[in-house]
Amino acid sequence: MDKDATAGNLSILIEACARSDTSALRLIMDAEGPRMLGVARRILNRGDLAEDAVQDTFVQIWRKAAQFGTAHGTIGDTPEASARSWIYAILRNRCLTLLRSAAREVATEDDRLEKQLDADTIDQAWTSLGHESDLRHCLGALQEEKRTAVLMAYVLGYSHGEIAGRLNAPLGSAKAWLRRGLAALRECMS
Amino acid sequence: MTSPLPNLAEFADELVIGLLDPADQARAERLEREDQTFAQLVNAARKRFSALDQTAPQQDLPSGMWQRVLDAIEQEAPEAQAAASEPVDLDKARQRRSSSALFWTTATSLAASLFLAVALGWNLMSTVEPKVVAILLSDAGQPVAMIEGAADNTTLVTMLGETTVPGDRVMQLWTKPDPAGPPVSLGVFDKPRKTVLSVSGLPSPSTDQLYEITFEQPGGSPTGLPTGTILGKGFSSQPH
Repeated sequence: MDKDATAGNLSILIEACARSDTSALRLIMDAEGPRMLGVARRILNRGDLAEDAVQDTFVQIWRKAAQFGTAHGTIGDTPEASARSWIYAILRNRCLTLLRSAAREVATEDDRLEKQLDADTIDQAWTSLGHESDLRHCLGALQEEKRTAVLMAYVLGYSHGEIAGRLNAPLGSAKAWLRRGLAALRECMS
Repeated sequence: MTSPLPNLAEFADELVIGLLDPADQARAERLEREDQTFAQLVNAARKRFSALDQTAPQQDLPSGMWQRVLDAIEQEAPEAQAAASEPVDLDKARQRRSSSALFWTTATSLAASLFLAVALGWNLMSTVEPKVVAILLSDAGQPVAMIEGAADNTTLVTMLGETTVPGDRVMQLWTKPDPAGPPVSLGVFDKPRKTVLSVSGLPSPSTDQLYEITFEQPGGSPTGLPTGTILGKGFSSQPH
């Protein structure tokens, strides 16, 4: 595989994986692996589980490479955006499965510290969204509790119950914030 | 079904953002595979949120990860090749069938999606139209689980009798689509109760196909092959 010609071109690399080219998988790992580990770490909150999730994801990318392009990609997407979205969908799915089956093993001794770390992670994600990004603009238009609930779900992988607990809100309110927040984002970004 | 008619766009968002419980997630994943309208909603939702993935701070991968991935995919090379040839054909066949059927014309596809979502929701059983059924037996010959496998490898697992799952273990269902090939995972579940599993990229199940459930570490076997104690195993038959 010619590294210069294909580095960063994820869709071509995935297609090469479908032809059993392991060097293509390695190039995907070099290009996206560190970011993927960051995503997994935010959700799983444990280095060892996050590494497992990323490792499993690369095995899945290899196994499913032939399916890429048949069922994915919408009109208007660049192949690059489709490829990245496909990879991170596999990763997030793996992280959430691990998270739900391993049961969240967080230290509960200092709930305040934990809440602060969560808040920091959310803030970091929010402030790192580029100002030109549509998502930033549309999230910014949401009321704070709706924005926080959506970010907690996506960035930290929290369930409805965990979001309600973290925000000291009744479960019904947390569900309503999420439902309305998601609807507003669909409307704003359509 | 206890919830009202699901709003499909909301259902897609909740799948992508990770808010569905396991049963709803299995329904959503099945819908994503089978319905282009829903698949497009899911893709649109992924695209909406993807900027957030890029905000994660990059972290160095451990030095041994590449070798571990390489070991895993080389160990599973026959399966990878089978998967590489199978799903493309199946998907194309499905698309051809879909595009030729009046039912699935653009004008009716949304209505069809809504109908399918409701039908799936009304009854968990309706998500699996079994092509094969297998009763898994323990070493002692006791029935421990009934497996109903649909043509698309959606699999309904019904546990029989009392099953004690070791505290730090989950259950993983395996099958051998190719009798001479390696076992392939159909999914992981943690509670000994009725569960729907779905997996893509495998050939449709056939009769006399081996199914087995093993106890594995949370998240499933790290090697991609069964490593834990076998709860039960059995071969599939065709229901009449």
